[in-house]
Amino acid sequence: MVNLSKLFGKTTVDIEKLTAAKDISGLIRALRSSDMHTQPVIAKALGSLGPAALDVLIRALKNKEKENQLVIIQALIEIRDPQSVPVLIEALKDENSEVRWEAAIALGEIGDLRAIEPLILCLRDLDKYARYGAALSLFRMGWKPPDDVEKAFLYVGMQEWDAVRLIGEPAVPALTHILQDQHSNVRTKAVEILGELKTPGAIPALIQSLADESPDVRWKAVLASPKCGIKLMHLPRGLSRRPIKTKNPLIAGFLNFLLPGLGYAYLAKWWGVMIYEIDIFGTILLFQYLGEEFSYETLIPIYLLLAVHAWYLAKKMPVDSP
Amino acid sequence: MDIDAMKQARDVRGLIRHLDHDTHDLQWRAADALGSLGEIACEPLLKLLVYHKLNVRIGAIEALSEIKSPRSVDPLIRSLLTDENHEVRWVAALALGEIGDKRAIPPLLDSLKDDDRYVRYGSAKALEEIGWSAETDQESAFYYFALQDWEALKKMGNAATGPLIDMLKEQHPSIRIHIVNILSSIGSIEAKRSCDRVLRDPDADVRWRAVLLANRCGVPASQLPIELSKRLRTGPNKYVATMLNFFFLGLGYDYLGRWWGFLVLEIYLMLVLLGQLRFGAVITFAILFPIMAIFAVQTYFTAKKEAALAG
Repeated sequence: MVNLSKLFGKTTVDIEKLTAAKDISGLIRALRSSDMHTQPVIAKALGSLGPAALDVLIRALKNKEKENQLVIIQALIEIRDPQSVPVLIEALKDENSEVRWEAAIALGEIGDLRAIEPLILCLRDLDKYARYGAALSLFRMGWKPPDDVEKAFLYVGMQEWDAVRLIGEPAVPALTHILQDQHSNVRTKAVEILGELKTPGAIPALIQSLADESPDVRWKAVLASPKCGIKLMHLPRGLSRRPIKTKNPLIAGFLNFLLPGLGYAYLAKWWGVMIYEIDIFGTILLFQYLGEEFSYETLIPIYLLLAVHAWYLAKKMPVDSP
Repeated sequence: MDIDAMKQARDVRGLIRHLDHDTHDLQWRAADALGSLGEIACEPLLKLLVYHKLNVRIGAIEALSEIKSPRSVDPLIRSLLTDENHEVRWVAALALGEIGDKRAIPPLLDSLKDDDRYVRYGSAKALEEIGWSAETDQESAFYYFALQDWEALKKMGNAATGPLIDMLKEQHPSIRIHIVNILSSIGSIEAKRSCDRVLRDPDADVRWRAVLLANRCGVPASQLPIELSKRLRTGPNKYVATMLNFFFLGLGYDYLGRWWGFLVLEIYLMLVLLGQLRFGAVITFAILFPIMAIFAVQTYFTAKKEAALAG
């Protein structure tokens, strides 16, 4: 098999040699050509160089070199120097969720009190891994939540659901917040607990969840809603707001008239493109043997029929089950 | 004019217009206001139950549930049994429960077997509201099923088997898994009858539970692979893929989910076009058909292998 790394000029580097020479820039450069097994070794090597490597690492982290960020943060964890705290706090706002997660863990490992406020904010991150990292770090740093609302954010971050339940009504803001989480199992859990809290404070969140994109979340919201005082009669209207993926019959018909077959493809019929190709071949042959005018006279009624058929198919498509 | 003012003015038409307002809160308030107007709103609301937009039908039923007029029972039963929309059937069931008329009991019992879990759930809740109690084990089983009370169904034992097998038509695999688990815990002769059906379930998890069920019901292990092989295959068909690649090289790959299928198709079409211009149709296809036949054979074996791996 062809070795692609050789083909593209990637060569193995002698990490021990670079470490011995204290070649920090060389080690950071080596990150670009290393695989996931070598990266932790480089992180350890950079970390072993101690504060001497700090400036270069901080600069590299600020440069936001995507593939290096996680390894650089790992190296900063090894060094544990308070000088790296500001740049790590900045990394909590990175667009990459793994970087935010790793930065949260790093701040906990370093244990500098300046990190507490940013980590509290990170408990409101929309990514569950970043929240988890922030919660563990705050816990590690001995942070005591000032009230039950903050305590709920901490336990939601740690996914300690039993502890969240025990907090009661003050947990509503934290649970409402994670209804924006992209993972439906997290949203399902939040809805379940909101129902168990049996408080009218959960009503807006539950009404929002009735229209969630996930069928499981919607079902749990239906079961939870009456417990918090939402009338059963109001649930069907809430559910009817769910996102419904339907195909527009007019688009299907229009496509099939202009580009016969593509209307079917729009309706996810695998044979739509086949009809499209047959039409292209058919049209060329007709033009060749019957001439342009007669071809149009033959084809347009067929295209009209196909358009009506696609329109009808789209119209008859069943609506997604709730 | 706002909702309260229309309510004061007993403006039924104005409130009905608000049932399809862009703001959901206003829809809710308009329905509540219509409900508070009593009998005067009943007739216009009953006219909305067919041929109107979804929000209007739901709002009208919400209002009728507050008016509680006996006149609305039959039209609501019609909505429960015939409306094509799940939410409308669900809200109609709940409204019949709110009105509490005993005439609604037989249709609500029918709706315990609806294809949609929300309609079933609403019907069970409505029957509770009316003060119905089950007269047969079968009714109890459908009622517990509608409430998704799996423990109660398990406790019913063999008496729940028939309704559970009926409800294997349920479209959510997670619910079918519950059914198979309960049948498995019952492990009766009747449950055994469902084995061949669940072993052919389109969902892999349900099929796996079915294997455990069959084991408990005493189906010989040697029969299981044969039964499982009869399942409905939902993946791409190897013959379709082959045929497509033979006539439209690339389209078969697209059908098998390869992103580059269209790319191959376009290259193929260009070659056909250029070939025809240079050598004419006969020579071009004489060259291309053997090549496409090779691709078709390769596609057949690829599709066959993938189907086997999909399990």
